[in-house]
Order: sequence, then structure tokens, then C-alpha cells
Amino acid sequence: MATAGRMATATDTGDLLRLTQWLSPAFPVSSYAYSHGLEAEIAAGRVRDAAALRSWVEVVLTRGSGLGDAVFLVAARKTGADILALTDLARAMVAGRERLEETQAQGRALSDTLSALGLTVPDAPYPVALGVACRDLSLGDGDVAALYLQAFAAMLISAAVRFMPLGQVEGQGVLAALQPVCTAAALRATEMTPEDITQSAFGADMASLEHERLEVRIFRT
Amino acid sequence: MLDVSPHIAPQQRAHGRAAVVIGSDGRIADLHQSGAAKAMLPRMHGRPPEVVFLNTAGGVTGGDRLSYALEVAAGATVVGTTQTAERAYRSSAGTGRIETRLTVGAGATLAWLPQEVIVFEGARLDRVLEADLDATARLITCETLVLGRRAMGEHLRDIGLTDRRRVRRAGRVIGHEAIGLDASALSSGAPAGLGPATALATVCLFASDAPDHLDRVQAALPPGPAKGLLGLRAAASAWDGRLVVRLMGPDAHDLRRALARIVTTLTAADLPRVWQT
Repeated sequence: MATAGRMATATDTGDLLRLTQWLSPAFPVSSYAYSHGLEAEIAAGRVRDAAALRSWVEVVLTRGSGLGDAVFLVAARKTGADILALTDLARAMVAGRERLEETQAQGRALSDTLSALGLTVPDAPYPVALGVACRDLSLGDGDVAALYLQAFAAMLISAAVRFMPLGQVEGQGVLAALQPVCTAAALRATEMTPEDITQSAFGADMASLEHERLEVRIFRT
Repeated sequence: MLDVSPHIAPQQRAHGRAAVVIGSDGRIADLHQSGAAKAMLPRMHGRPPEVVFLNTAGGVTGGDRLSYALEVAAGATVVGTTQTAERAYRSSAGTGRIETRLTVGAGATLAWLPQEVIVFEGARLDRVLEADLDATARLITCETLVLGRRAMGEHLRDIGLTDRRRVRRAGRVIGHEAIGLDASALSSGAPAGLGPATALATVCLFASDAPDHLDRVQAALPPGPAKGLLGLRAAASAWDGRLVVRLMGPDAHDLRRALARIVTTLTAADLPRVWQT
């Protein structure tokens, strides 16, 4: 990338601090409350160990809403992007009601929090709002998208660690193993527009709908 | 071993276009047919008018272009369907294309219930559904993909399939499902992806009262597979003027049976007669 071999400037490092703050699990978008349907898979016994978790998250990142979100993020980052059209399309592409709730609630929370911190960002689906927030950061689209995807993967793994018999360290092993996947998916996202998105995460999307009917659940989605 | 398809592949580069307009009085206002595409309107005996599309080429392969269009004028209620399942055959060159265009006027209702698309080994196909709804229009859609025929022992290894279904209301996109299937998606077998499924279906209702139908639709769903076991999965969700039902499973016949029950619940009517053959 353009930054290879050149010394990081104070601007670069400052922007990296900003983005990692926004993507931190401690940032108040309540990402801990959402499992993206994973809770339903675990409850049904379809994901019961680290290997199955890794596979599930990898599919979501590469052939499901992970890649889709990354493409919207990159698109929203562009100056002059039609945010209303991106919002409509992102909302139109959700698999079900809980996916809409996840992306809208996190987007709104991001917008509210950044606004309180002095940065105005539209109330839009999460990757779109984040894309707008990232416009003035001196980071490449690939880096921004990769960090987003890792944060997304971390959220799913954290949900699994809380709900499955899976240790914290084992969970971190899964996240580390997914880093090349995040990098590759982020690179793909930089070469796509939202019109190019196609998905095949049928099982994961189905789980998001099945989650609505779980009688006992600890996650909102 | 050579791949032997039991069907003769249709001519290369078959083209077909069929477009029908149903007027507010429920009668044909316009009809166009060219090439391999046909549209028929059987007598309905007191039921809403039905438009049945047919591809006389028997299937689609690389380079073919098939186009169906159905427009429903204000106030009319229409059912659209296809005479048979569509077949996407192995392509020796190029990508086939199937386009469907639906237009639904003010206060009109369209139930678009095509039969399934059966995808064969080596198929290359782009499908596009575009629907434009008036602010007060109602649309039901039903899309089914069957990946190889299990009864014939077909297990697909390589296809290139995209299937985009986009719905607009008063010019704004309100629904967009975009599927892409290739060799790696087929081979992975990952539970978050296809898993053991070879048949997929999505049923949608776009209407302001869509969420009101959720309970009835939930009651019509098949019971899910026993914990951890593989079988037909089906679930429904509703929000903001949309209701969606998704089905996926290893047996296309089981899925079709479940689908029939869901569609008849949603339309409060029998399935088109062509579905029974």
C-alpha cells in the first residue's frame, strides 16, 4: 500500500487511534448485545467448538454480511456518496428484522456518540455511518475495512465465548486465525461497489431469523 | 467419467421475450411474444387472472437471453407463474441471462409465483428480477433454486450463478436479495453457507400490513430439524412493510411441499394449477 516504506506521520497515527477507538468493544454502540444469529446456531448445536465457530465467522466475513458491510463502508467513505441511496440499499439487503435492528441501532449509537464528541455523522446503517465518519482519516480503504471486519469478527467470537463452552484464549486463537481472512475480504471490498455484492451465507442468514423464535436468549439479535 | 446430461441441451443463443400488461379490468391490455418465450392466460373461472410464462427452448444455457415482463394496472389482482421449472444447463461458452420485470400499479396486487430454477453442473447464469411498485401496490414473490437433482445423484461441483432480486416502491429500493454461487460456495459445505442444502427458497410479501400476517405464516412453517440434525430449515420475519420467509434443505421435494403451504397461506388462495403437474 502507499504507506509501506514511509515513516508514519503524526496524522496517520492519530487517525489510527481514532478509528480503533470507534471500533473498540468499549465504544458505546452496544455491540456486545448482538450475536448476528450465532446464538441460534449454538442453541441448535450447529456451532459447538472453536473449529465450527471459525468456519461460521469466516463464511459471514467472506460470503455474507461481513463482506457486504465492508463494501458499504468503502462506498460511504467516498466524497459525494449518495448516503440516502446507500442507506436504502443497506436496509433493503438485510436478511430479516433482527439484522436491520443490529445495523440501525449500532449506526444510531455511533452517530450519537460521535456527535457528542464533535463529529457529525448521519444516523444510518452502521457501516454507512462509519464510512462517513472515516472520510477524513488518512488511512487506506483496505486498512479501514480490515479493522472493521476484525472488530465484527471479535464481536461474534466474544458472543460465542460468553454463550458456548469456549475459553477466552481459544476465542483469541480463532480471531488470530481469521486475520488473513479479514485482510483478504477487506481488499476485495475495496474493488467492489454495493451493486456488485452477492452473498451465499444462507445458513447464517437463516439463523438470524430463527433467533427471533428462541424462547430463552441473552442476545438482542 | 463423462458428464452425461439426460436432456438434450437447447440451441446456443436462444432468445425470447414475453411481456404482458393486464388492465384494471383484469383483461389483457397488451401482449408481446418473440423467440422462445410465450405467455398464456388460461381461463380462471372466477379466480384472479393468471399469466403463465413458458420458455419453449426447454432451458437456458450460455449466451441465451430470456426476458419476462408482467405489468399489472391499477386496482387489478393478478397471479403470474411459469409453466414449468426453468432449467439452467451446462454452458460451453458465455453466461445465460434470465430477466424478469414486474410492475404493479396503485392498489393492485401481484403474486409472482414462478416454479423453481434447476441448476445443472457447469451452468453459467445471471438472473435478475426487478419489481417496481406503486406506493399502494402489493407484491408477493417466491423464488426457488434447486442445485442439482438429488434423485438423479447429481452433486454440483462447479457453477457460476448470480441471482439478484430487487424491489422498489415509489422509486426507492425496499428489498434486495443478491445471491452468488460458485465452485467454492458449493464445495465448502460450511453450515453458515449452504451446509447440506441443495434447495433454497425465499418468499416475500411487500405490503403495508405485512407484519400482520406473520403469526399465520409462522403457524404454516414446517417444524425445524431436531437439534443438531440436518433437514429442512424454515423461518419467517416481518418489519416495515415486508414479510420474508426463507427455506433451505437437502431435499427439494420436502422444500416444495413446505413452500406450497406457506404460499397458499400468504395468498389465501390455491397455487397455480401448473404447479401440480
